[in-house]
Amino acid sequence: MDWLDLGLTFVKTLAILLTVVNTVPIMSWVERRGAALIQDRPGPNRVGPLGLIQPIADFVKFIWKEDPTPANVSGVLYTIAPFLSLLPACLVLAALPVGDHLVVMGREVRMQIADLDVGLLYVLAISSLGIYGILFGGWASNNKFSLLGGLRSASQMISYEIPLAIAATGMVLFYGTLNLREIVLWQEGTLLGVLPRWGVVLQPFGFLLFLIAAFAETNRLPFDLPETEAELVAGYHTEYGSMKFATFMMAEYMNLTTISGMMVTLYFGGWHIPWIGDSQLLAWFGGSRNILGLFQFVVFFTKVTAFLFLFVWVRWTVPRFRFDQLMRLAWGRLIPLTLLNLVVSAVVLYLVEGR
Amino acid sequence: MGAIGTGALYWTHYIAISLIALGLIGFLIRRNAVVVLMCLELMLQGVNLLFLEASVRTGTPDGILMVVLIITVGAAEAAVGLGIILNLFRLKGTVELDAFRSLQG
Amino acid sequence: MSPNEWMIAGMGIFVLVCAVAVIFSRSPIYGAFGLVLCFFGMAGLFLAWSSPFLAMIQVLISTGAVVVLFVFVVMLLNLGHGSGGGVAGWVTVLFASGGIWTLSLVLLRALNRSPFYPAPSGAQGAGGLRAFSKLLFTDYLWPFEVLSVFLLAVVVATYVVARPEAGNVARKENR
Repeated sequence: MDWLDLGLTFVKTLAILLTVVNTVPIMSWVERRGAALIQDRPGPNRVGPLGLIQPIADFVKFIWKEDPTPANVSGVLYTIAPFLSLLPACLVLAALPVGDHLVVMGREVRMQIADLDVGLLYVLAISSLGIYGILFGGWASNNKFSLLGGLRSASQMISYEIPLAIAATGMVLFYGTLNLREIVLWQEGTLLGVLPRWGVVLQPFGFLLFLIAAFAETNRLPFDLPETEAELVAGYHTEYGSMKFATFMMAEYMNLTTISGMMVTLYFGGWHIPWIGDSQLLAWFGGSRNILGLFQFVVFFTKVTAFLFLFVWVRWTVPRFRFDQLMRLAWGRLIPLTLLNLVVSAVVLYLVEGR
Repeated sequence: MGAIGTGALYWTHYIAISLIALGLIGFLIRRNAVVVLMCLELMLQGVNLLFLEASVRTGTPDGILMVVLIITVGAAEAAVGLGIILNLFRLKGTVELDAFRSLQG
Repeated sequence: MSPNEWMIAGMGIFVLVCAVAVIFSRSPIYGAFGLVLCFFGMAGLFLAWSSPFLAMIQVLISTGAVVVLFVFVVMLLNLGHGSGGGVAGWVTVLFASGGIWTLSLVLLRALNRSPFYPAPSGAQGAGGLRAFSKLLFTDYLWPFEVLSVFLLAVVVATYVVARPEAGNVARKENR
């Protein structure tokens, strides 16, 4: 691990982190214009062409606005709760593989900040830390409604971590590894010569379960009760103004991007495009690994963008669940279904491949 | 990861036993039932470290398995303990251990 | 001293500082926060001992579920703003601390001199994830299955212990 490796890791971290952080203002624009499109109204269109400068205007507002701190809040916890929410959202990015590898100065550089052998477990573990920001934010606000919103959100997130993990485990049975890069490499090629060998083709039902659990994990509609605007007065981030609120929002959008990245990695082939293998692409790009790497980066983030649009679309289409319906869905329906998925996958794998 | 020299092994002993000792001290001196449970969890972590270190010393995976089992059982007993604390709170309106003296003397 | 040893030393100090913060915390919420940091440090120690699997399991279960449960209970019972019960009288503290440190030293000496404890060999790791999972499903299958039944029993027990009682007693708890 010499200085060049360290420098390259730093550059990789900066690249991936900045890309994902930049999706936050873009997502806020997509959210508002997408909502407007679905609701048949214009949406923000004053600030620039198509309202594209709106996120910048929002950002400027957040910086210059007064940061109110209510009386009787618990000092330290009130201040760090937004950052407790942001930290796991940023840390999970370390394990996502955005491309295969580049060749820099004769070394092979993996397009992933940390090539962990337990990558999938790392993602699940760190995303379970996101609960603390919400819990402490809700409690430190010295406000019963915030506390209720925080507790509800936290119990929702814990409940839906289980189907998320079991659905991912069902997929891991096929891949045989927890290493995210090897999972993507496994998904190259075709199945029966016709279908791409993606996770969603092998386990469409598992993907659906993972998707539902992902919606609930990120507190997005239809599972959005903890932060509903009409009922709990914005829930756990009621008492947070300007920059702290912006941090919570940033954490939420980064969580969205990360979960979309996980879905792309596990189920949609990561950086692969269907039916065209990596070696063929390499030949097209004149044998340059770096251009191929850039292409894979673009493909990966295009797929992530498609999922982000799906999140926005569902948000403005579907009504939200009541809290008891939400919990019954998690414990009574999703967990048995994911377990069934796991068992069926194991049986099919045994019958087909004998292992 | 580089080879672990003999120095680190003894530090790990000190760390693990300090954790167990600190957990035990906290367990005995704190008066709030929830904090007492937290100190119990600390003790379990010290034990985890000792098991892991033994596993690495002998090169067998048994110790790692023990740690997983301990973490699981520790979580389970924390859950039941907290349920009991909830009940105690309903009974007396407080979780200070000084309030529960009916079996004393 | 290799970077690994620096990490063990650093993480060890971090864990002990957080443990002290837990036992001298002025409210259970800060104690829970200290516990989170302590478990994180433990995960770091597990990593330094070449067990990334254990480190992730530690973060996932201990930090991500057990301490969340603690924080839930503290918030539900509104214990966060309290004094945390304080500490027993100074005589108790003195004798408890003294006794326990003596016991620890005895244990430490016993560990280091035990004939059953093999000499340090500078081993690199314990076989990784595959060896562990193979062991889990062969030699330790019985504990594994018993553990799953045990967890079921714990879930049922926790529900039974913690549910509100029917009738008047439930109304009494509204303050």
